[in-house]
Formats: sequence, C-alpha cells, structure tokens
Amino acid sequence: MTNRGQRPELRGQNVRPRFTIHHSRFTLAALTLILAPIVSEAQGTFVIRGGTVVPVTGPRIPNGTVVLQNGRITAVGASVQAPAGATEINATGMFVYPGLINAGTSMGLTEMGGVPGPVDTREIGDFNPQNIATSAVNVGSEHIGVTRANGITSVITVQGGSVLSGLAGFINLAGYTNEEMIAKEKVALLLSWPSAGGGGGRGRGGGRGFAIGGAPGVDPMVAYQNNVRQIYRWFAEAKAYGDVKDRLTANGAKPPVGWHQNLRYDAMVPAVRGEMPIMVDANTVTQMRDVIRFMDSLKVKVIIHGASEGWQFVDTLAARRIPVILDGVTGVPGNDDPYDLIYANPGVLQKAGVQLAFATGGASSARDLPYEVGLSIAYGMDAEEGLKAMTINAARMFGVDRDFGSIEVGKVANVIVTTGDPIDIRSQIKEVFVKGRRMQFDDRHTKLYEQYRARPKPPNK
Amino acid sequence: MHMNFMRHAFVLAVTAVSLNAQQATPAAQASGALDPLALPAPAAGSLVAITNANIMTASHGNIMSGTILIRNGKIAEIGTNVTVPAGAQVIDGRGKWVTPGIIDAHSHSANEGINEGSQSVTAEVRMEDVLRQDGISLYRQLAGGTTTVNILHGSANTIGGQNAIIKLRFGLPADSIKFAGAPPGIKFALGENVRRTSNAQSTRYPRSRQGVEDLLRESFIGAQEYQREWDAFNTARAAWDKAPARSRGAAPIPPRKDLEKDALVEIMQGKRLVYWHSYRADEILMALRVSKEFGFKPNFTHILEGYKLADELAAAGATASTFADMWGYKLEAWDAIPHNAALMAERGVNVTINSDSDERARRLYQEAAKAMRFGGASEETALRMITLNAAIQMGIDKMTGSIDVGKDADIAIFSGHPFAPASRVDLTLIDGRVFFDRNTAPTLEWLMQLMRNRPRITSEDGGAR
Repeated sequence: MTNRGQRPELRGQNVRPRFTIHHSRFTLAALTLILAPIVSEAQGTFVIRGGTVVPVTGPRIPNGTVVLQNGRITAVGASVQAPAGATEINATGMFVYPGLINAGTSMGLTEMGGVPGPVDTREIGDFNPQNIATSAVNVGSEHIGVTRANGITSVITVQGGSVLSGLAGFINLAGYTNEEMIAKEKVALLLSWPSAGGGGGRGRGGGRGFAIGGAPGVDPMVAYQNNVRQIYRWFAEAKAYGDVKDRLTANGAKPPVGWHQNLRYDAMVPAVRGEMPIMVDANTVTQMRDVIRFMDSLKVKVIIHGASEGWQFVDTLAARRIPVILDGVTGVPGNDDPYDLIYANPGVLQKAGVQLAFATGGASSARDLPYEVGLSIAYGMDAEEGLKAMTINAARMFGVDRDFGSIEVGKVANVIVTTGDPIDIRSQIKEVFVKGRRMQFDDRHTKLYEQYRARPKPPNK
Repeated sequence: MHMNFMRHAFVLAVTAVSLNAQQATPAAQASGALDPLALPAPAAGSLVAITNANIMTASHGNIMSGTILIRNGKIAEIGTNVTVPAGAQVIDGRGKWVTPGIIDAHSHSANEGINEGSQSVTAEVRMEDVLRQDGISLYRQLAGGTTTVNILHGSANTIGGQNAIIKLRFGLPADSIKFAGAPPGIKFALGENVRRTSNAQSTRYPRSRQGVEDLLRESFIGAQEYQREWDAFNTARAAWDKAPARSRGAAPIPPRKDLEKDALVEIMQGKRLVYWHSYRADEILMALRVSKEFGFKPNFTHILEGYKLADELAAAGATASTFADMWGYKLEAWDAIPHNAALMAERGVNVTINSDSDERARRLYQEAAKAMRFGGASEETALRMITLNAAIQMGIDKMTGSIDVGKDADIAIFSGHPFAPASRVDLTLIDGRVFFDRNTAPTLEWLMQLMRNRPRITSEDGGAR
C-alpha cells in the first residue's frame, strides 16, 4: 500500500472531528429491508473503523469512523460509538472516501459496440427535450457493476444525438430496477450547441456540435447563426407556452378545449425558468461565448460540458462562475496544439477558480473517471480540487449535494474504502456501499477473472 | 494558427538537449530555430550521464539513486558507484524515476495507410512503404516516454501486410526511423473484422471463423508447394550448372516469383514473426493449432480472451499483447476483462500492454499500472509489460527494452514514480539523445504566455465580453 499521490500537506495531519453521532433519522428506510436479499447486496448497519476518513467537505480524519445505517451516513468522527449489532468493517491502513460521481456517461443506455439492440443513446430529430434518460436505463447492464467495482457509485446518465436531447438523470449504480437506481430523475436539460464551421477547429472543438441544414455550399457562419437562432426560438416558445399554460391552469382551472399540451415545451419549462440547469455541449471559444450570451439573455442556468478550449476562455468562465464538466481528458489535441493541451486544460480552469467535474462519455470507460482526474493532476490541477471534481462538485452542479458528494451525517451512504487515493491506478477498491448496501464484487469482470483464475491446469499443458 | 511557434519549439525539442536545463523562456524558445535534420548521430566517444535517479531496470530490479552512463548511444554503466567522466553531459536525475523507453507492441502511427483489405491474403504489402516520420503523433508519444513502436498492418483481412518496427526519432529523415536489425513480421487477423461483420454486402471469402481457418491452411500449403517448386528448381539448376555445357540442354525455368508466398515461406522458416489479431478463446486455440502445424512461434495481439487459455498459451511459448482495460466495443470484446494481462502473466505467458491508438500510446505507463490494479501484477511485471516483454515479443530484446549494459540508451525519465498518479514524463532519450524534453517542449503554459503577450487586434477582440 502506498500513500503516494496523497496530498503531502494533509498526510499525518491531526484533525479534530467535526461530526457527531446522529442516527435517529430515516427509520422509514428500514422498510426497504423487506425486499428479498439479492446476491450482490446486503443492507444493514455498518461501522467502518480505523481508516483515514476523507470527507471531502471537511478535513481528513485519521483513524476515523463512519457509521452507515438505513441507507444513510449516521455518524462520522474520530471517536464514534457503534450502534448495537453493527457489522464492523476494519479499514485500518485504508481510506474512506465518498463514492465517486461520473458527471456524464451513457450508463445503462448502451451495452456493446456493433450490437444495436441495447443502444438508446440517440433519437431521431433535433428537438427532443422531452426524453428522459433514466427511463431507458437497463438495470441489467454489465457496465453498472463493472463501474461500481472501481468506486464510482453514482453517475449522470445522458443521451445525445439531438440539439435538445432530453433530460439527464442522476442514478446510483445499484438497484433492483432502474426506478430504484434513480436518485433524481431530471437534473439537467441536455443541449448540444451548434458548431461554427462544421467540424475541424482546435482541440476537440467543432466536431461535436450539430448542424441543422448544414448543406454543402451554405456559408458555415450563416448556418451557425441560423442554428443558434433556432435554439433561441425553441426557448422563447417554451417560455411563452409555460406562461400561457400557467395562466390557463391557474387556481386548478382546466385549460380550454382546443388547447394542446406540448410535452416538448413542458420538459423545457423548468430550464427556461432557471430552475433546472442546462448542460450544454460546447468546446470552442465561439461556442462558449455564445452560450454565455444565451444564458444572459434568457436568464437560464448553464453547465458547460466539454470546454476543450476552456483555457482560452478561462477568465470569463471564472468571472461568470460557469460550472464546467470536462469530458475526454484522454483525447488527442489538434495537430498544431501543444502536446499537453488536453491534460493541462483542467488545471488552468481549476487554478482560475472554475468549478469542475469530470465525465467519461461512454459507459465502458466510466470506471476510468479517477484516472482522468489523475492525469489532470499530473499536468497541473490541484489534487484536492481533483477529488472535489469527482465528488461534491458534481453533486452541487446537479443540485443533489444535500444527499451526495461527501461523507457527512445525513447524506446517502455512498461510501468506498480503498487502499490509497482513488486517482492512483494501483489503489484497490476494497468496499463499495451504495445507499448503505454493502456491494459484493460480483461484476462481470471480477466473476470471469475468478472463474478462470480457478481453472485447473489442463492435462499435458 | 500557432504553427510557426510550434515549429520553432519542436526544432528545439529535438535539438537543444537541454541538460540540466533551466526553464527556457518562450522568447528563448521562439528565437533559436535550428535545422532538425542537422542533428548529428551520437558522436564517437559521446558521453551522457543520468545521475542520482531512481532507476527501474525492468530486468534486474530497481536501483535507487543510481547513475546511468551512456557511451555512443549505448548504456555503458549502471549503478550507485558509477564515476561520471569529465566532459560527459549530465542529466540531473535527482528525485526522478527512470525506466526503459516504453515499447508499444501495436500501433498504426506514422502510416499513410493501414489496411490493404481488398483480398484476404496480402502478405506482400509492407507498412514500411507507407511510413511517414513527421506526424505530430510521434512527438506526442515521445512525450509519454514511448521510444519504439510496432507499426502493424490493419485487421481487415486474414493474412495482412508486413509490419515495420520504428524508433520515434521524430525530426529525423524518414529512413532514420526504422529500427535497424528488428526481425520482420506480419499481421494475421481473426474474428469479426476479417469476417467483414459490419459489411453485409461483402462477398469476400471467408465470412466465417471456419473459413478463416481454412484460408490459413490453404495459404500455407500453397506456400509449401511454392517452396517445393523453388527447391526443385534450385536442385535442377545446380545440377545444370555443373553439367557440361554441350550436353545439358536448356536451363531449367525458375518458378514465377510470388512476393505473397515468399512472406509465408519466411514465416515457416522462422524468419518472419506472426502477430495474430485475436479475440475469442476458440479462435486463439485455432491459431495455436495452425501455428504448430506450420512450425512457427505464435505472437498474439489483442487476445482479449487470453486469460481463458493462459496455460495453453504458456505451453506453446506464445506471446500475448493486449489492451489494459478496453472492453465491450464489439461482441467479440464482450468477455474482455482488465485482469487479462495479469492473469496471463501469472500463468507464465510473456504479456505486453499495447495502445493500438495514438492516444493511449501517450500514457502506456498508466495502462500498465492497470495490471497492478486488476489482477495484482507486481510493479516489475507491470513495467515489463510495456518494456522488456514487448521487446521480447518483437524480437528486439537484445537491443532495447531494459536498462542493461550494452543495450541502446532508450530511456524515459519521469517526474515521479511512473505509476504514481501525479507523474509525467520529463525527458525521453533514444540512443542516448534527448528527443523530448518538457523544459523546452511547447506546453499549454507556454502557449498561454505567448498569447497573453501577443499584440492585441481590436476587431478580433470584440467578441469576448
């Protein structure tokens, strides 16, 4: 076991506990125990002792204790009394972190490349704000267990393909059904900002936007402006629709005959009113600048997803306090870019004070989340901020930080026990708790490994 | 837009050899343009010393705070008691970790073309004919400590083209990137790609795994028959040469030269290495049978289900080059597990972790660490997976792949332990020459400084408010 990669300034630091026992809440959650146990989960009361507790939102607690009861964290501290009958988890020499959060993956919406049956990541058409990602999460997806086994306990699950692709959801990576997995069904409206120039551009920029009517021979800037105008139009219409609907249905009134409900606009109304963030794919400076204009003019909340040219726009992103989700730190920069441009971009943003989270995009690579953060740290990001980026920041961006993103009393018991820093590839994940359930490492990969590791030597070999 | 700046900087990166370099200022970087092609070969007697570094030899453990002395591009001395001769260029390795230059056993970099997929057998096609040495990707792999790569033909057909092993001597002329003395090889492929799974219209034989096996056998038997024709001709010709000129009649007519079959004959003669692109256990076993039948040593690449038959691989002396943790990207990658490399190694197979990607080739040291995370490989085993074992698979382990006296001074110098999360590559040497140096490399930080200092153009500035 190694402590390499730990923040040296925190190593061995003596920290007074800030948390006290608090476990009278959530007795209702005990009802969930009625569920028949399934192989991978056991819910009960757990006391994790002896490890260094890394709450993320507070100082580290050497030799700390965390109590998980009825699906919540009920006590955290240096001297904590264990409730009677609790299962002891010995974390001596290990670390206790909150479960990691991947802020953008098609988890549950895709299974394997080249096999179209399970792929629900795209819809036909540009205007699909009404589609709810969590509705199609396949609870049987093998990616769920594989990702969880690497310490990622929740993800923002996203679809794409349209200009407005629908609503992202926040799910826990455990449950008997997808409904059970959902922590918050609708956390953000997904918007893919148009790209000017139809591909190309610096870094990963350019190619990821959309182009309505991007016909050959059309001036790319004209096409871009038309596409942006279309987005404004949709939002204006959704706003008008919401206002009219409110008036028509005020005081419980039924709307008049002849009035038509529009599910697309309905889905947009919370975002239009600034009550739900809009997660906008935007990578180039042009895109990000126009996203901020859009934000200002419509008074909406945005999270920028991508920001591969964030380093060129860092002052504005920081000054305007725009949260950013980085995606694809393992990408390749443009041909005339510095070799470390993508690795160093997160550090530039972080040092300027931009709130960051990380996404992996695909489902099969979702477990690599901490390694992408590690790479960012190697090229300049602050390590403590890197930890926040894969925990509390993601929870805050999507409005679920009351329940997720740190080890604090009252939060959902998504907790991992590791032999080292999660960003250190050599660290082992020893325990994963999701909603207070102790998960077995029975994912597809671990099972195949154990099955074949136990294979007897074939005769004559 | 920054092309000119970048050019200057790259030139410096390959020429400046900033030993003990102070952080070069952008201004200094941009001013001293030199001709990269003028970079001389290591002069006779040239000496480079990497001092006080933590050396991971990959062959005989770690040497803490040791020195490597490089003479004429070869490793001359290693240890804690090495005397640095006067006049040696000294690289201060204090606090740094040194590994052998990383070897990528599966790459498609530096290529103008990857697949000649029009036929199922294209053994005559050569990757060395389509190499280009100026692709920026080569420089970026250097920046990840990679020094040697195996450029393979693609996997569009069962018997693909011939490989080219290169050293990443970025900035030197095309004919100086080939790895001299590396044994020739060839790509074979199995499974979904060669069956043209994603192309329902394809009428190319084979379209089944059974057909692939048949095609292999037919091809080798054809090559054996071809070789027998040549043997017969050579015998007849030798007899004819010896026979008296008056009575011997017309000279025997040689068989028609067949470049495709020549390559297959070389395989059976042990002169050409086969790299089998493979996924599933059944097809790997088939490849083992075919290799045995025609008498050559099998080397595998991808081999995602190798863990299912590690004993069979070890018994056959097969080598295996795989991904660290790629899976699920197609049906035949469905049983891929990240423990594959460690489990095969545990059962005695020579295992390497490759990139098959210009992106992963930039951070193979991270990929190797995954063998420690999944399957519990030791640190040295993991390091060998991207160095010595790859050299063994490619038949170049006498020349590179570990830090041993007499080998080429192909070396990566890391800011910290190569598997630690916050480490990055600071210097990369090939044959004792610095081809990447982070101190003089054009970095994002450097670019941002340049842009901050550039003259402002009002009209361009108008947008960002």
